[in-house]
Amino acid sequence: MTRIGTSPEVERGQPITITVDGEPLQAYAGETIAGALLAAGRKAWRRTLHGRPRGMFCGIGVCFDCLVTVNDTPHVRACLTPVAAGMVIDTGGKP
Amino acid sequence: MADRVEVAVVGAGPAGLSAALAAARAGAQVTLIDSHRAPGGQYFKQAAAELWVGNPSRHQREGQALWQKVMEAGVRFLPETVVWGTFEGNLLALHGPQAPSFLQAQAIILATGAYDRPVAFPGWTLPGVMTAGAAQVLLKQQRILPGKRILLAGTGPLQVVLAAELVRAGADVVAVLEGGRLFTASLRHLGVLWGQWRRLVEGLSSRLTLSRWRVAFRPGWGIAEAHGRDQVEAATITRLDQDWRPIPGSEETLACDTLCLGYGFIPSNTLARLMGAEQDWRPDRGGEVPLRDGHMQTNVPGVYAAGDGAGIGGGPLALVEGEIAGIAAAARTGHGAGDVEREIRRLSPALARERRFQQMYAALFTPGPGLYEWSREDTILCRCEEVTQGDVRRAVALGADSINEVKAITRCGMGDCQGRMCGHLVAQCIARETGRSVTEVGVFRPRPPIFPVPISALGRHAADDTSAGAAEAIRR
Repeated sequence: MTRIGTSPEVERGQPITITVDGEPLQAYAGETIAGALLAAGRKAWRRTLHGRPRGMFCGIGVCFDCLVTVNDTPHVRACLTPVAAGMVIDTGGKP
Repeated sequence: MADRVEVAVVGAGPAGLSAALAAARAGAQVTLIDSHRAPGGQYFKQAAAELWVGNPSRHQREGQALWQKVMEAGVRFLPETVVWGTFEGNLLALHGPQAPSFLQAQAIILATGAYDRPVAFPGWTLPGVMTAGAAQVLLKQQRILPGKRILLAGTGPLQVVLAAELVRAGADVVAVLEGGRLFTASLRHLGVLWGQWRRLVEGLSSRLTLSRWRVAFRPGWGIAEAHGRDQVEAATITRLDQDWRPIPGSEETLACDTLCLGYGFIPSNTLARLMGAEQDWRPDRGGEVPLRDGHMQTNVPGVYAAGDGAGIGGGPLALVEGEIAGIAAAARTGHGAGDVEREIRRLSPALARERRFQQMYAALFTPGPGLYEWSREDTILCRCEEVTQGDVRRAVALGADSINEVKAITRCGMGDCQGRMCGHLVAQCIARETGRSVTEVGVFRPRPPIFPVPISALGRHAADDTSAGAAEAIRR
């Protein structure tokens, strides 16, 4: 929804399907997990110990707010990690 | 075993690229380390390699050209690599896909850059509230908009430039709130802008874009609260006085789904501190910065610091500082043609020009002290450990009057970010409560690992002969 522009200025990478909280999500190569989630209109994903929703804050890998579990590896920064075909993501904050 | 190199450069933004190039051209063997996938840092942020962009920005083109030269000069690049610790004798502990466990360097150039200054107000942890830097990454690297109805709040021309980019990309920008009141202040600095034509053109063209799209630019306004259940749905904004304190009764509420905050930057100085570089508290340069000589060397022999990580000054200043540090570090390792002092003097006009610009920028766009009073008792200061302003004040009431005592009582600063987000917020809160200065309150003491790394990585390090000291440090 919020991906910008099409040809001639921008050509996106290969379309990729990832799985987020059990649902398929369309993304494009070159996007980060956070980018793909935001482009799909999803701003909140993780829940804190106290149950508060969190999403992307600093965007450059410093704040560790955007953590998700990727292919069973916990503690992955969604803002730095590029999407890959078949990736299974558990946000810990299923809507 | 530790790899050995003559010059290690930490950070591949403008300062690091420039330093690596200068050192390698002088004949030194150079390893360049960055925690991201691609070089460039935030200033030269490139579009993702998989994405084809027909109209890269000027910064992207400049970054690409500089990167080409760095590669041609034979610099070894370690991407996606964090420096999680430093130990006696200029030993860097690394974690990354292509990185050795340890790197022993004769000279180390810290070009660690900066991050957006966090500002705590009610609702600032809601998803949809993000830094201006986060919005820039989405725009430049991925061509994705952070939201649909975007409110920008912060200070300085970068916010106006970001707002214009968002508008051109199709976002509905609700307003741009500027904390300062600029017009009278800026007249005193007109002389410094002479020669800064590219910056002026970029600023004016962005300002015109906002006018054309009827985006309100509101000097003297800030954020009172972000509202929403699971994400931002609206924000209450408030007029600010000269010191950036909210003026009661001036509030307005605007609907928005995204709030981009750009209140200046904080230098990433954790590594410099960890290495024992003496620091100075310089609010005009973003906070705590290492002391340096004319070669950009800290008080630790062989450890240099350049660019925003050594004090906020922007990309062009970082390029000059990096070049000086690179020449000096190469000379220290026995490289370089002729007179190093003369080489460095050649750069002094550019250095002076950019420092004058930095001083003007700081005079106009350093947030007022009221910025740290936008939080309430139940507002979270430490995002990782969910420590509120009330928690910090209760710790002070118990007798804690330094940041490390408050950390021990409340856990603030102990989370994943290692206090990078809450450090200034907590320090200012303690200073306000105790009447002490921020310098007296102190800063979080960094300890390795300064970035989270998997236990398996530490195990690998600990099994290594050369890392006995490192393993010992972790056990402590």
